Amino acid sequence: MRTGTRLALASALALATAMGPATAQDVPREDTVIFDIDRTIRDPGNFNWFTPGVKRLHGAHQAMWEPLFILNYETGDLEPWLATGADSNDDFSEWTISIREGVEWSDGEAFNADDVVFSVELAMGNEDLTSREAATVRAQVASVTKVDDLTVTFALTAPNPRFVVENFGNRIFGSFLVMPEHLWTGQEAASFAFNPPIGTGPYTFNSAATNRAIWDRNDDWWGAKTGFMDLPAPQRLIWLESGGEENRAQLLASNQMDAGQTVTLGTFEAMRFQNPNIISWKADLPYAWSDPCARQIEFNTTIEPWGSANMRKAVEAIIDRNQIVNVAYEGTTEASRSMFVQYGAMAPFIDAVVDAGYGFTPEGDVAAGQAMIEGEGWAMGSGGFFEKDGQTLSANITVNSASTELTRAVDIIIEQLIRAGIDARAVPVENSVFWGTALPLGEYELAYTWLSCGSVNEPWATMGRYTNESIVPIGERAPGFNNTGRWDTDATAAYTDAVAKLQGLAPGDSAAPALVVDAYQHYFAEVPFIPIVQASKLLPFNTTYWTGWPTEENNYNHPAHWWGHTHQIIHNLEKAN
Amino acid sequence: MAEVSAQTQAPEGEAKGRFNRFDNPWLNPKLLWGIGILLGIVLLGLIGRMLWNTELVFTGSTPLRLPPVGFENLRGQPGEAAFPLGTDGAGRDLLALLIIGAPNTLMIGAVASLIGMTTGIILGFSAGFIGGRTDDVIRILSDVMITIPPLLILVVFQSVYGDVSLLLMAFLIAGFMWQSPTRLIRAQVLSMRESGYVKMAQLSGASTAHIMFREMLPNLIPYLFGSFIANVTTAIVTAVGLEVLGLGPQRIPTLGRVIYDAINSGALIQNLWWWWGLPTALLAVMFIALLLINLGLDEISNPRLRKI
Repeated sequence: MRTGTRLALASALALATAMGPATAQDVPREDTVIFDIDRTIRDPGNFNWFTPGVKRLHGAHQAMWEPLFILNYETGDLEPWLATGADSNDDFSEWTISIREGVEWSDGEAFNADDVVFSVELAMGNEDLTSREAATVRAQVASVTKVDDLTVTFALTAPNPRFVVENFGNRIFGSFLVMPEHLWTGQEAASFAFNPPIGTGPYTFNSAATNRAIWDRNDDWWGAKTGFMDLPAPQRLIWLESGGEENRAQLLASNQMDAGQTVTLGTFEAMRFQNPNIISWKADLPYAWSDPCARQIEFNTTIEPWGSANMRKAVEAIIDRNQIVNVAYEGTTEASRSMFVQYGAMAPFIDAVVDAGYGFTPEGDVAAGQAMIEGEGWAMGSGGFFEKDGQTLSANITVNSASTELTRAVDIIIEQLIRAGIDARAVPVENSVFWGTALPLGEYELAYTWLSCGSVNEPWATMGRYTNESIVPIGERAPGFNNTGRWDTDATAAYTDAVAKLQGLAPGDSAAPALVVDAYQHYFAEVPFIPIVQASKLLPFNTTYWTGWPTEENNYNHPAHWWGHTHQIIHNLEKAN
Repeated sequence: MAEVSAQTQAPEGEAKGRFNRFDNPWLNPKLLWGIGILLGIVLLGLIGRMLWNTELVFTGSTPLRLPPVGFENLRGQPGEAAFPLGTDGAGRDLLALLIIGAPNTLMIGAVASLIGMTTGIILGFSAGFIGGRTDDVIRILSDVMITIPPLLILVVFQSVYGDVSLLLMAFLIAGFMWQSPTRLIRAQVLSMRESGYVKMAQLSGASTAHIMFREMLPNLIPYLFGSFIANVTTAIVTAVGLEVLGLGPQRIPTLGRVIYDAINSGALIQNLWWWWGLPTALLAVMFIALLLINLGLDEISNPRLRKI
């Protein structure tokens, strides 16, 4: 309790200091929006988003850098932002993007095709730029050409009907962000810190420390001048690391925070009990929004015995998804039936897979799992764990300790595995270790992740992440976090070939479900990762100072306020009184 | 002082009051109360294990967030007799957690302190009695080690090492428990070395080990006990400190771990007072018991503190 109070106090103090010296102009609380971040800003002086680290979600890509397009999760439309439209040739191997006229960097320079071409070529020519979006562009683009100041064409390495939404549409978390050519030219791209940063957005950088970042409105924003949009209402935006569920809840309940990261159901109910102005996506139970990144167990297939498909399938059989839903998520989510997110647009593919007999059941079958383990030569030892050649069957599950949701789900999985005879234990690691080294370098045995995340309305984005094209040795960075478990068997090769046939299909092609099943059988034969449950995000918003938050009724877009589409949220905010 | 008060009390039954207390210095109420409470906690663990279903300490084995019997939680659910002290947010029974957790916490303290004291006794006696180079090495080592803040090192170690067992945690803490006893015992031994009975033993040809452990050690026993109990307290505080930061054993319940889970899951704002309150209260009782024992032992080793 003492630590909790102290932490809450520390956060409040941090907030006070955050607002203290920086408020030379004294921005009142009611003109400030305070967002929550769930991780430490390790290197607050570095704004090079091409390399890994917390360099975007502390406000940089929500307020300062604008995307070319924003995918609307509710309508499925790709809404133009810095661009005005995109077009492709017939076989989707060449794309042309038109850029909006009148866009300016906050230092007054014009934003144009030169910046786009420069940034894309930067990513194409430098293997050290390892962030997911840079790696994807590098893999997909063969060449990029400026047609005129407002038009750019991309020649692709392979036909891709989803090229724009995948790279420039904020489909998952972020988008490829265009950098100002006039400041980046001549810099060493991998080590350039880009500080102070500038962007085209309506907010400019004020200051940052490890636990917060502050952005102030630029009243000279190009969007207001050209009539693209009005200036957003908040004068100042702060991203603050709340540091855990208790502090998050206290800050929100006491109106010291406006948008929180995900909390558990009990905490959300308690916050509303104290502060009726707290809302979330849904007005009633389960309150939560399902984000597109369903939870799963990842296996490092280079570590025995998890190289064996039967051992992985045994774990799949043992896991009781219902219990995870009921205890860890308190009924706010549902069990995964396949590797796909359970959105309406994905239903044809999920149904096709389940009808073909490749669906996962919500209940566990411990006996079946144990039989599979015994089939691999293990025998139940006296300690209640399986043994073979004097070795106990163990499983170390790496989990990101940033969220109670994740650690609690892993606690339950561990309980289930231990009861079935596998000596499982959690390896909680800090957020930056989880994403910085554990996952990409393959330094884990099992991990609780959401790395199949990608598909929202078509199957390829998810399926394409587990092909053998992304396999690198352990210790090297898996490009774009794809196939971090290094699944590399004959089945992987067959899977890769089958998935390739999906890649060039236009959206809505009626042949897609059958092709999905064809590829899915190779995945299902070896389950390199186990889908567990859908992701539920119970994101609290505070309407004391600001209204206009995204909800099921006011659904201009989804509520994940650490994603790049948050520009829309900020533009929709209105002062409460 | 003792003589004066003894004299003033003399008229009312001098022999009885005075000699009983001198004969049994170990039977002082503070010591007895302290030991009684600690034994109670140990018995809670031993008997509780037999009477209560200890499987309920595992995640998902009970309904979530039930209050103790006679209370209601925020959702208006009443407590159930099947879980008399309530349940936590991950489906664990509080009574079972206390039954398993409290002796575990005590055990870490006792083991760490025992190892630390044993090391301290051996090193302290060697340094004080043998002297010379041995003394230099031990003294410098303990002086250096005493400046290192244990929690800092342990936090770093455990966050790198990950999940630790109870015993390993006790060993790690013991690594920071020997310096003070070493220094204090060395000082005591240095003064004792010059006393007559030690000189006599040396003259009669007794071995160093004999003099150290048979002649001198018995004189230090009350003092060593006091020191031991103080160390148990420090070790428990260190252990609970680590556990509350989430750095202790993960699946083995300890009081600190329960508090960590409570903090981490927003138990304060959810008003789940039984989740953090009961283990905190039990820890407080434990510390009070240790303090009473320490005060009692102090009176034994220091007769001037006795009320006669």
